[in-house]
Amino acid sequence: MFGLKGKAAATVDVRETWRALLDDFIIDLAWSPSGDRLAIATVDGRVSLASFRGPPRLLGSHAGGASSIAWRPDGQALASGGLDGWVRVWDPVTGAESQQLAAGGDWVAKVAYRPRGGELAAAAGKTLRIWNIAGETLYESACHASTVSDLAWNPDGSAVATTAYLGIVLHVRGHADPPRKLAWKGSSLTLAWSPTARFIATGEQDSTVHFWHVKTGKDAQMWGFPRKVLELSWHHAGNHLATGGSDTVVLWDCGGKGPEGRSPTMLEGHPTRITQLAFQPQGELLASADADGTLLLWNPLRATRPAAGRMFLTEITRVAWTPDGKRLAIGERAGSVAVVDVGA
Amino acid sequence: MSTALGKIPVTVLTGFLGSGKTTLLNRILSENHGKRIAVIENEFGEVGVDNELVIGAEEEIFEMNNGCICCTVRGDLIRILGNLMKRRDKFDHIMIETTGLADPGPVAQTFFMDDDLQSAMSLDGIVTLIDAKHVLEHFDDSEEVREQIAFADVILLNKTDLATESQLDDLEARIHAMNAAARIYRTRDAAIAMDKILGLGGFDLDRALRIDPKFLEPEYPFEWSGAYELEPGEYAFVVGAGPDPAMNACLRRIETADDPGMRDAVETAVRIYSEPETKIGPGEAVTPGSLLFQLDLAGGPGRFRALIAERGAYALFTEHHPDEFSAYLENAAGQPVQPLATREYKPDHEHDDEVSSVGITTPGDLDLEKFQRWLRELLATKGADIFRMKGVLSFRNSNRRYVFQGVHMLFDGREDRLWEAEPRHNSLIFIGRNLDREELNAGFNACLA
Repeated sequence: MFGLKGKAAATVDVRETWRALLDDFIIDLAWSPSGDRLAIATVDGRVSLASFRGPPRLLGSHAGGASSIAWRPDGQALASGGLDGWVRVWDPVTGAESQQLAAGGDWVAKVAYRPRGGELAAAAGKTLRIWNIAGETLYESACHASTVSDLAWNPDGSAVATTAYLGIVLHVRGHADPPRKLAWKGSSLTLAWSPTARFIATGEQDSTVHFWHVKTGKDAQMWGFPRKVLELSWHHAGNHLATGGSDTVVLWDCGGKGPEGRSPTMLEGHPTRITQLAFQPQGELLASADADGTLLLWNPLRATRPAAGRMFLTEITRVAWTPDGKRLAIGERAGSVAVVDVGA
Repeated sequence: MSTALGKIPVTVLTGFLGSGKTTLLNRILSENHGKRIAVIENEFGEVGVDNELVIGAEEEIFEMNNGCICCTVRGDLIRILGNLMKRRDKFDHIMIETTGLADPGPVAQTFFMDDDLQSAMSLDGIVTLIDAKHVLEHFDDSEEVREQIAFADVILLNKTDLATESQLDDLEARIHAMNAAARIYRTRDAAIAMDKILGLGGFDLDRALRIDPKFLEPEYPFEWSGAYELEPGEYAFVVGAGPDPAMNACLRRIETADDPGMRDAVETAVRIYSEPETKIGPGEAVTPGSLLFQLDLAGGPGRFRALIAERGAYALFTEHHPDEFSAYLENAAGQPVQPLATREYKPDHEHDDEVSSVGITTPGDLDLEKFQRWLRELLATKGADIFRMKGVLSFRNSNRRYVFQGVHMLFDGREDRLWEAEPRHNSLIFIGRNLDREELNAGFNACLA
């Protein structure tokens, strides 16, 4: 009757191995593909690189603020976007700025490299641009109804999905046709592809989560959240989606026919609103963080109680797993960045 | 300041292109008020002062799926203010300058509807600038100008140097009839003291009541007043044949026999006009003071004596325009005395603007459940037409005042300070389109415990 739910998972060992102070709101963190370096963007615009020998090295800055940072899959470059309307590409070895790409709008919302490729996508204002490795524009689209709020590559690299007011736009690579729209009368703020690319989940301004079956365009709405949902993370197998938008982590079973008509699993333990959710890239653990600085680790398919926890001083604004899932970087509002080793 | 603790106050600046928004903004930014101000500009004027943050933005209106008007918010503000809140450099105040054609509704609603903004910021006030010379060209065909007036907490009747005093009076009366809760200031080059527009506190209905006790009563009970310089002695108010069998009048001592002197007495005159009348017939006397006289004209034209004991400035407030009765003041020598200044007060029913205010002020305590039921029903059915509402309420079983404000269907209220020496009462105001005064009054009164 009770199955495994309600049991505490086997304890997970969490040990802090590194910490640096960057003195401003950590707006983005990105691990190098090999997991040996960490790129850090702060809200004041600085782009820094930590290689864990001494303090992080300042690469440069975006006037007005930075917003997003990403590594090229080969580890030979990293890109940052900022409120100055520029995408800057950095050489992680020399620290030099190797390219400066005009993104087409005032603010760059997001930068993302194509998985297993060198193409770089960025959204700024209503415009999506994609450049090749040499910095030449391959694609440009301004078909969005409002400023693009988020973008993500399909896990196989075949398309870019963007969110804005009135839903999702799918920009399929190599197609000259007008991009496909998954229309929804609402403002979609953030999106997450399921790892198998079957589904896209979006967090909405109206405090719902929208759930799209990509092939058929069929959709479902998940409601009942007290706040807008900016935190979405998929389990690597693609059948479970964790959502925030409250003090409770909600886990939706999207296997089989999808989440409709099923009751989600509620993971309670945070004293205040959740700010970050991240499943381990290959493992079973889910990291969740909140506005008070609480970090919790769950094994949510096995237990509804946290497997580990740790307190930080201020709001946790970013968490990022290394690609191998063995380390976790945690960024805070006050500018502290910590790295913890996570072991079974 | 009654802004909720720790929240950053936000002032929204609306007004047509050319009404003086940029001038006002530059004044605010250059004034030495010691505040760090961030400005979000939807309209690109020549704003630029060092040390202040100015962010340009394009208006993005987001309607949500259910089509409810109150769920319409401004995506650009959510994005920009969301970023601002993450910054280390904190701001004491945020100014949002909208485009001339902006609907203030979604701007205001954004601060109620977005979780992150609601917890960090509060709408301090909506300030609307009006070009006193050109606004009349837009009044009848522009929904935007009416909405900008209806939503305002403060209205600056700007560019007064380009309009005559009587044009300004007419305009002010018309604006007042639409939005009786707004404070109206006449300005030139948008020159205004900062404390009149910043730090209003969204909830501060009390202040409006204190400064302007008649604001819930936008209709003037008199149509005309004249200022005279009079010597001690006996005068006569000579009234000819007219359309009514009686006319109310009161005579007040004023500071100076000019327009400002008369304007200061308007409020008192409104109060005197709410008192019972003292009926007098021809030959009887009108005296300066706090009595409202009803001049009996049933028998046709008549001469009413006016007794002046002290030399000085006086204002005569009459229910009808003297011209309608060929009425005038005559001195002891039988010579007409010309007023040194006159004012006309357009009765409210002459305005057919669909936007109006309904004020309710009543003593007694409310039944919480009845009130909630009534308000819920009212907002569900009429919310789209109710632009704003504000009020101070007295609930049975609570020794604290309850203050609230709302935008369309959104409502935000909280308990306020204890009731002190003042009698417990309810004061609230609705500003909206096609409001039914009687229905609102009846509905509200039915909620009294």
